[in-house]
Amino acid sequence: MNGNDALFPQLATLGSSLVLLFGIALLWRRSLGAYVRAFRWQSLALALTFALIGYFGHNHELYVVAVILAVLKVIIIPSYLTRLYERVGGRREAQPYVNIATSLIIAGLLVSLSYAITRPLVAVSKLPTRNGIPLAVGLILIGVFVIISRRKALSQIVGFLVLENGIALLAALGTYGIPLIVELGVFLDVLMGFLVMQILVYQIKDTFESIDVEQLSKLRH
Amino acid sequence: MIGYLLEIGQALLALLLAPGLVGFIRMVKARLQGRRGAPPWQPYYDLRKLFGKEAVVSGNASWLFRFSPYLIFAATVVVTMLVPLVAAPLPFDAAGDLLTVVYLMLLGTFFLALAGLDPGTAFGGMGASREMTVAAIAEPTIALAIFGLAVGAGSTNLGRIVAQTLSHPGAVINPGHLLGFTALFIVTLAETGRLPVDNPATHLELTMIHEAMTLEYSGRYLALIEWAAGLKLLVFFSLLANLFLPWGVATTLTPGGLAIAVIALIAKLALLGLAVALIETRIAKLRLFRVPELLGVSFVLALLSVTSSFLLR
Repeated sequence: MNGNDALFPQLATLGSSLVLLFGIALLWRRSLGAYVRAFRWQSLALALTFALIGYFGHNHELYVVAVILAVLKVIIIPSYLTRLYERVGGRREAQPYVNIATSLIIAGLLVSLSYAITRPLVAVSKLPTRNGIPLAVGLILIGVFVIISRRKALSQIVGFLVLENGIALLAALGTYGIPLIVELGVFLDVLMGFLVMQILVYQIKDTFESIDVEQLSKLRH
Repeated sequence: MIGYLLEIGQALLALLLAPGLVGFIRMVKARLQGRRGAPPWQPYYDLRKLFGKEAVVSGNASWLFRFSPYLIFAATVVVTMLVPLVAAPLPFDAAGDLLTVVYLMLLGTFFLALAGLDPGTAFGGMGASREMTVAAIAEPTIALAIFGLAVGAGSTNLGRIVAQTLSHPGAVINPGHLLGFTALFIVTLAETGRLPVDNPATHLELTMIHEAMTLEYSGRYLALIEWAAGLKLLVFFSLLANLFLPWGVATTLTPGGLAIAVIALIAKLALLGLAVALIETRIAKLRLFRVPELLGVSFVLALLSVTSSFLLR
């Protein structure tokens, strides 16, 4: 036990709230480019939080995870996303199902809700990182909310990736990092899932000439 | 006794610094845009010129039009006495806490909107309506953002909040703190009529908010309103600087401590001014209908700030 003990919980919570902040910033934006940028910054903050937990938790595997995460989610996936929306067109989330002001209020409520539901967990937990747990759960809920409230297939992909970031954050905060091999499997899954979705978006675009998922409910076009 | 002298000194300091701050931001902006720009003390000349000029008042205007500038100015000066600019426990702390500060500012905004409506010009009414739209969403956010800190300090007293943060420096990297700072920063831009919400340098009446209400003013009335607007900017900046990063604020009334506090205040104001100038150079004005969305972001951040400060106490 040393003097870092007071600093660690603070920094872990700070990192988590930064990650959450970018999740909320995403809800405010309209252009798909801004979605991708917000996701990129969020992933960077997440990678830093991983490195931070690795440093204070003396788990050096987490550094490796942080680096892979940074390469995958800060560089590879965002650049693919950028290429995707440039090729598919439709740069704006013109009319989300839930308008932006309401989305923001709902996001606030979701985070408050996650504070309420994780309260018993935080109360019994002895982890120094426990204060970040409600924020991670809030981010997961916001990810789900982005998926259900946005029209464009691309925004929904970003929502899925945000959801995944939330789960990764929760795992890191709750366990100080799951084994590297599991983490690698998860990354591979995310990448595969993302590639599949990318192909799906091209298919939707080919068939419907739009990536608005509203079109999918029509039987004929 | 010395405390009251300090209060007066603090208000005088704020009055003195406010036009300089406005001028400084204008100069930095000009430099960033590749212009030479006016020197930072230009607003002082402007104020002197305006005070020397004859005040022309529209024939349709009532007493309200003439009375409002004085009230706006007075309300803002009172606020400078309640906000910890250079020293933390102030004798007037008992007279008003954060709610008083917020609502004194709102009083100024309210009378400015009334004065905009009073002469019956189209632009004045438009400006007043827009200002009220912005203020109605921004005002609760200010209170809420500072409440996030107040929960931690156990008091809505601004001096107590500063003292509390000084004695627990670790609290500065709290999520509540961070979220509150972001929220208050966005609201500062909105409330003081800076860019993404309002363009302080605009000459296009259709996009004006603050300027539209002051279009009919001239002479000493305009000088008072401009000065009060500068003061308001200074008050918001020092709330941001001293509540969230209180280092430098004097807790004991020694000449050395006060000197450091004044220097620290000027340095923090200059830093924030630089940040605002940078932001104003980088971004464009938002469409008016997107402004509530931006303020919605800051409201949610403030709400989360309070939630997390309350639950993570």
